[in-house]
Amino acid sequence: MLSLLLADGRTPTGGFAHSGGLEAAALAPHDVAAFLRARLQTVALLDAAVAARACRGDDPLALDAAWAARTPAPAVRDAVRRQGRGLLRLALRLWPDAVESYAAASAATPRPVVLGLAGRAAGIDPVAVAELSLYDDAAAVAAAAPKLGAVDALEAAAWLADAAPLIAALADRAARPGALPAPATPLLDLRAQAHHDNSRRLFVS
Amino acid sequence: MSAERALRVGIAGPVGTGKSSLAAALCGALAGDVEVGVVTNDIYTDEDARFLRSTGVLPAERIVAVQTGCCPHTAIRDDVSENLLAVEMLEADVGPLDVVLVESGGDNLTATFSPALADTQIFVLDCAGGDDVPRKGGPGVERADLLVINKVDLAPLVGADVALMVADARARRGDRPLLAVSLRDPANVAAIAGWVREELARHRAGTLVPADPGPMAPHVHAHGHGHDHAH
Repeated sequence: MLSLLLADGRTPTGGFAHSGGLEAAALAPHDVAAFLRARLQTVALLDAAVAARACRGDDPLALDAAWAARTPAPAVRDAVRRQGRGLLRLALRLWPDAVESYAAASAATPRPVVLGLAGRAAGIDPVAVAELSLYDDAAAVAAAAPKLGAVDALEAAAWLADAAPLIAALADRAARPGALPAPATPLLDLRAQAHHDNSRRLFVS
Repeated sequence: MSAERALRVGIAGPVGTGKSSLAAALCGALAGDVEVGVVTNDIYTDEDARFLRSTGVLPAERIVAVQTGCCPHTAIRDDVSENLLAVEMLEADVGPLDVVLVESGGDNLTATFSPALADTQIFVLDCAGGDDVPRKGGPGVERADLLVINKVDLAPLVGADVALMVADARARRGDRPLLAVSLRDPANVAAIAGWVREELARHRAGTLVPADPGPMAPHVHAHGHGHDHAH
């Protein structure tokens, strides 16, 4: 049940204010599903791999640094850290013993590391945490799409359902031992920077 | 003895009633002895933050804008994460502060601040928005810590009856604080600033307990009078 709590968009961690880069991408509605899948295979895969390692018990501060080194755009790092702070508020309430030392020591608190620690405290295994991380990335895009364009929210839910096999396969890959993935997403990064400087935006990121 | 963190004052109310102008006026009236920061929640732009910066009442770095993903109501009520983060970062960056004003995006009559975000809150209406609004009630009108009825100077021009608005609001609010003002009148602004100073004193003394106006109007039962009760 606790994985459902962590995946629920109604759980108050600030996720509603982020579009997963969709607002910055300014896509036509029929391109959003492909965008969502492209994110899953790149930035979301990295985040999932970091979350799985934090869940497995790797040093969270080393993961902070490894994640930041693979996330070159300052605007993306800032947005993911904000979401991490939101999730950390929840984790400090639910599992203080599991996250207090990290909260005190980490200057960054990127969401995937916090999610991994929360998942570990909740008794969720690394593959399931990776799956949760991937789902959350896709769900942010899907939830923002009807607010940004002519998209039926049912259609957006269907994108998520269609992505289920992809998410399962990526979660397995993310939780495998070995080097962290290092996806290059220059267009996402450039758009994120432009979005950050845009004074007419609905979403933080 | 100072409280550990700044007093968080929420400013809510419908679009165009004067929330940003009130924030600017308060910054001016409190300047000198009260250190103030502002968090704005614009719907679509950082217009409110830019307006406040342009007034020059505060250094630009003391004014931050929060984006709310089309959900201004959520951002002050059921998921205050982004706003709390903004307040905490503001205090960490420019603090220590005495008061942080959190201005909501203009919303409807049901939008009030969660006690997790605001220690005390002001609900702003204006004469130009129709003099029937206080009668319609809602949690902000009925139970915000302070109700401000703004733009009384416009009332004759738009055919609004200020006395009626005040009487309707009194009927809804009982003895809770209510000020009918024009922000162009320094004495009116001083009265609102005086209320904020009183709340700040209570905050510092540890006697201020957030009184949640709630997201809904109180229930009305068959015997006809509204009342609050816990579920």
